[in-house]
Amino acid sequence: MANYDLTPRIAPNLDRHLVFPLLEFLQERQLYPDQDILRAKLELLNQTNMVDYAMDIHRAFYHTEDVPQDMVDRRAEVVARLKALEEGASPLVSFLQNENAYQELRAEKQYNLQMLNERYQIGPEQIEALYQYAKFQFECGNYSGAADYLYLYRTLCTNSERSLSALWGKLAAEILMQNWDIALDELNRVKEIIDSKSFSSPLNQVQNRIWLMHWSLFIFFNHDNGRTQIIDLFNQDKYLNAIQTSAPHLLRYLATAFVVNKRRRPQFKDFIKVIQQEQYSYEDPITEFLACVYVKYDFDAAQQKMRECEEVILNDPFLGKRAEEGNFASVPLRDEFLENARLFIFETYCRIHQRIDMGVLAEKLNLNYEEAERWIVNLIRTSKLDAKIDSKTGTVLMEPNQPNVYEQLIDHTKALSGRTYKLVSQLLEHAQTQQAAR
Amino acid sequence: MASRFWTQGGDSETEEEESDYEQEDNEVPVEDINKAAKSKYLQGSDTESDDEDGQKRVVKSVKDKRFEEMTATIDQMKNAMKINDWVSLQESFDKINKQLEKVMRVNESDRVPNVYIKALVMLEDFLNQALANKEAKKKMSSSNAKALNSMKQKLKKNNKQYEEMINKYRENPEVEEEEDGDDDDEDGEDEDSEFEEDPSKLGMESDAEEDEDKEAGEDDANETGPGWEKMMSKKDKLMDKQFKDPSQITWDTVNKKFKEIVAARGRKGTGRIELVEQLTFLTRVAKTPAQKLEILFSVVSAQFDVNPSLNTHMPINVWKKCVQNLLTILDILTQYTNIVVDDMVEPDENETQKGTDYNGAIRIWGNLVAFLERIDVEFFKSLQVIDPHTREYIERLRDEPTLAVLSQNVQEYLERAGDNKGAAKVALKRVELIYYKPQEVYDAMRKLAEQNEGGEGEADGEPKAVEESRAPPSFVATPEIVPRKSTFPESSRTLMDILVSLIYRSGDERTKARAMLCDIYHHALLDEFSTSRDLLLMSHLQDSIQHMDISTQILFNRAMAQLGLSAFRVGLIAEGHGCLSELYSAGRVKELLAQGVSQSRFHEKTPEQERMERRRQMPYHMHINLELLEAVHLICAMLLEVPNMAANSHDAKRKVISKTFRRLLEVSERQTFTGPPENVRDHVMAATRALRQGDYQKAFDVINSLDIWRLLRNKDSVLEMLRAKIKEEALRTYLFTYSSSYDSLSLDQLAKMFDLSDKQTHSIVSKMMITEELHASWDQPTRCMVFHDVEHTRLQALAFHLTEKLTVLAESNERAQESRIGGGGLENLPLRRRDGQDYAAAAASGGTARWQDLSFSQGRHGTGGGRTGYNAGGRTYSGQAGGFSRDRTGQSRGVGRTYQTGSAARASQMDGSTRMVSLNRGAYA
Repeated sequence: MANYDLTPRIAPNLDRHLVFPLLEFLQERQLYPDQDILRAKLELLNQTNMVDYAMDIHRAFYHTEDVPQDMVDRRAEVVARLKALEEGASPLVSFLQNENAYQELRAEKQYNLQMLNERYQIGPEQIEALYQYAKFQFECGNYSGAADYLYLYRTLCTNSERSLSALWGKLAAEILMQNWDIALDELNRVKEIIDSKSFSSPLNQVQNRIWLMHWSLFIFFNHDNGRTQIIDLFNQDKYLNAIQTSAPHLLRYLATAFVVNKRRRPQFKDFIKVIQQEQYSYEDPITEFLACVYVKYDFDAAQQKMRECEEVILNDPFLGKRAEEGNFASVPLRDEFLENARLFIFETYCRIHQRIDMGVLAEKLNLNYEEAERWIVNLIRTSKLDAKIDSKTGTVLMEPNQPNVYEQLIDHTKALSGRTYKLVSQLLEHAQTQQAAR
Repeated sequence: MASRFWTQGGDSETEEEESDYEQEDNEVPVEDINKAAKSKYLQGSDTESDDEDGQKRVVKSVKDKRFEEMTATIDQMKNAMKINDWVSLQESFDKINKQLEKVMRVNESDRVPNVYIKALVMLEDFLNQALANKEAKKKMSSSNAKALNSMKQKLKKNNKQYEEMINKYRENPEVEEEEDGDDDDEDGEDEDSEFEEDPSKLGMESDAEEDEDKEAGEDDANETGPGWEKMMSKKDKLMDKQFKDPSQITWDTVNKKFKEIVAARGRKGTGRIELVEQLTFLTRVAKTPAQKLEILFSVVSAQFDVNPSLNTHMPINVWKKCVQNLLTILDILTQYTNIVVDDMVEPDENETQKGTDYNGAIRIWGNLVAFLERIDVEFFKSLQVIDPHTREYIERLRDEPTLAVLSQNVQEYLERAGDNKGAAKVALKRVELIYYKPQEVYDAMRKLAEQNEGGEGEADGEPKAVEESRAPPSFVATPEIVPRKSTFPESSRTLMDILVSLIYRSGDERTKARAMLCDIYHHALLDEFSTSRDLLLMSHLQDSIQHMDISTQILFNRAMAQLGLSAFRVGLIAEGHGCLSELYSAGRVKELLAQGVSQSRFHEKTPEQERMERRRQMPYHMHINLELLEAVHLICAMLLEVPNMAANSHDAKRKVISKTFRRLLEVSERQTFTGPPENVRDHVMAATRALRQGDYQKAFDVINSLDIWRLLRNKDSVLEMLRAKIKEEALRTYLFTYSSSYDSLSLDQLAKMFDLSDKQTHSIVSKMMITEELHASWDQPTRCMVFHDVEHTRLQALAFHLTEKLTVLAESNERAQESRIGGGGLENLPLRRRDGQDYAAAAASGGTARWQDLSFSQGRHGTGGGRTGYNAGGRTYSGQAGGFSRDRTGQSRGVGRTYQTGSAARASQMDGSTRMVSLNRGAYA
């Protein structure tokens, strides 16, 4: 099932540190040989300052207790540098850690800077040092420290470029600490800046959006409200364009979100068109499933795809998140997805049939006969389905659903009179003001 | 006399006419003399006064001089005979006739000198001999053979006058003297005036030169050396003399001479070819590489001047030489990397004096890119002018690799020199050489280029040898450093990718746009429809294309046409139609693609316009086959329109997808008798008739019988696709048309009727049900479709029409009011307005001001795309339709349940157009 794995396509758009959770997941799922994953991890770590962790991995990878000398050297170097940076930033840090002093800061940045400079002899160098320190902290894997410092840095920073990168850093740190609520706030902040800022080239902006979307996957599939928000974000024209041009694999997540989200029907139709259009550039069982149900009306294939979808979801680091309840682990998204997918098939199927054999239906829904019957009865009971079961022949009968012609006509014209009234009254109003003006 | 100016072509025909005149002249000698004298005054008085002066002062010596000249010319003729050079022989013959006249005048006798007669006899003998030798004649070069022929006629005519004398001479070679020569005198004079009156004529140049020469060096004529020298003008000879001794040549002399020649350029009376030859000579004696380079640049620009007209092309041999010169320039530039070519700075006067050992940068004036572009233009023009069905055209096409080599070299040089902008321009030229070539043609070109290497080496060897022998070896030898053979990658796509990415990196706007279009074209050619569509949409070219120059617009149209073809090949009928329909909407395809001129009934073109248009034409080998294009367009239209018409049978005018197709169909239906199909149009119409009855087999057979399909590479798969599509549309049409006659219909039967699999049938019918095109539903246990009787009565249908129109009316009222008062407080307006703006943005050419009435009229008559700019491209229409139907969708959503028949059709239209919307949306990246 590794052929539907998106990690190689997602990873380039993530921060180095954000790739770890993905690799962890892959290791757990046993999709790739352990050795490969360990090697990948090691390579990742080489560029970071998490030397201790790298040593651990190294040991696991080579099955030795020895650690190469350069790693040890590097460790010393990292520690030394950390010390140096800490020293550089210490005046500011101590100031910020002092509750009372911190209270003196106001909303206005310029004032703050001046105040700091005058009273505490903290100038731009120290502020810059704070940024470097925070960055280093992040690279060392101390995310909470990095997040705190970056937050503080942002209150003092005047350079918008720097401020943005501090924001990215904060976002990454929050994601890694799994503070989804805060991360979501940060995400929205980054998004605002990306949308409003003028980039040197449109390409740059698109690239930024792509990053944002990739990073947001962590949040959206962990946050409670994430599934609606992912649609809100991804389905915006600008972002959808970015997906279509540079990262069609994100369609999988958008598609999944659409499937599990029942309230998004209007946008759903447009989305189907996007899927159709992007067929040539990206296809996986989830998008194919939608295409089968809504484009080809091929229900057998849809059912087939549904089974594949299950696999894909289980193997996807974002979608296949497990919920542990006691010693019983389940993948909530999978169940939800399957349930909704079934509903999709059934709904479409019913729309074009007036009589369906229960057996066939059960087969199409991936259920057994009893389950199917219960399922349908439930639907009818909750009046989601206008149908009856003929248990003697074992069929479901759909109620014909033809709107009355006269009703339609009335519907058509109803709004007209209201609109005309409004129009007239507005005209009159206008005329009166005109006259009054004279 | 006047008419004589016109009949001076110099070829045999006019010669004959001339002889008529001559006879006339003989009848009225006095008058003629006067005229001749008069005309003599008209021309440069230089000769005249000179002659007169001479006459007065030293009669004797002048007389001798004339004789000497004559004998010299005869010597030249002898030489020419030796090497069988009829061109120079002809020249000499003309010359001797002129000299004869002078001699006669000087001698004041009417007797033709013996020498002249002797020459005539000699010439006649030689001519007869040459004519007799058929083998040799065949081997002659074309110009030589031509000269021989005209010589034959001239001589025949001329000799008639001296027949008596010639015979006498033949009898007794020694005896001559005392004959009448009155006529001859006049004759000679005539010829003289004739020649001198048309200085621009190349053959005459030497005469004028000669006169000048007289001043320069009296005994010059005596110096005439071996035969080949006659090819050169006197001036050349002069230079030759001046530079005869290699040791005496200095940079200064060459520079002086160079300046002199360049100064003469463009002046009246300076022969263009002459100039080229002189300069070429100078390149050989140039002292420093820089100087050689400088002179070579002048040679090239002089060569460009050879053809002054915009409408005709540069002579092909000159073109080839020009390419060689440019290659030499590149050789020098590569050899001496310290020489910098620049057209911005006026270089130092003595910049070129710096020799090989000079280390600093030497700046030379010149613009390689401009030269290359000019070369390319000339090549293009020559292909435009040459009849594509001749061998000449193919020969000319063979020069393409040469051009490719040159541009490749120039590009490499520019890249080395760091001029990326220039390199991008040159790369564009290369792109334009290959973008229209499918892989097969590209392969052929590659092979040709490889073969050429061998062949060209030989061909090159010969002229080189001649050159070598003709001139002293040049001082600055330039080894061939730059490769004369271009390296083509295996696949044309690779080459395109390399070039195009270079251009995107560093080209200017226009270059980038053109490269993008070429790229789109090429992708489409390789059946990569989606890639090329994405490129087109992302480039936003549709929005800006009408502001570009016409040739780019033509390129855009070509790319659109190719895009349409490729969409069709991969089976995307609606997209294909979208791309092509605009090209055909005004019936000016030929014009839009620059593949011929179409006559318009309504407005006459001025000659100027026509000329412009002719200048834009694509050479034949770049054409997109119009028949194929038309067939594809009509078939796409058929596949979309036939079910559409069937669905809206009660009011056919409602939703028109292709107006062109509808019009054609009307015309063909109006015919009382329909014969067997002849052209593409007839075929498609016949297929349409069959399809409307649901007879898919016949429809396919008719279309299959078109012989244009052989033009397709993957003919079989395309036809297979077409067959499947026709079946599908036949099924849909059948259901639309006959659903009212059925109560239920089994799936199996339907599948059998249209030879489709159950699954396909099920899928197609289901789709129709979902989109509410068909009011039926499946009865799953019996595998039947059950039709619902929901057809509206006429009254009901009319009522719906009324409500629709009312809605439109209300809407337009609201808009009108809003635009008048501004800022309407109507609750549903904001949404619509946004849609409208969207639409306006999409149809950039539509003009925002008129958008409401436009969409209104669309709602009523389904018109659109009526106003099309010269080049608005398919997008205008699709943009409008897109925006419009979005508006519609919003509306129907707001209203809630829509009535059935209307919405059925609407849904289908919506389906098509929203696809375009999403296409458009893709563009707003």
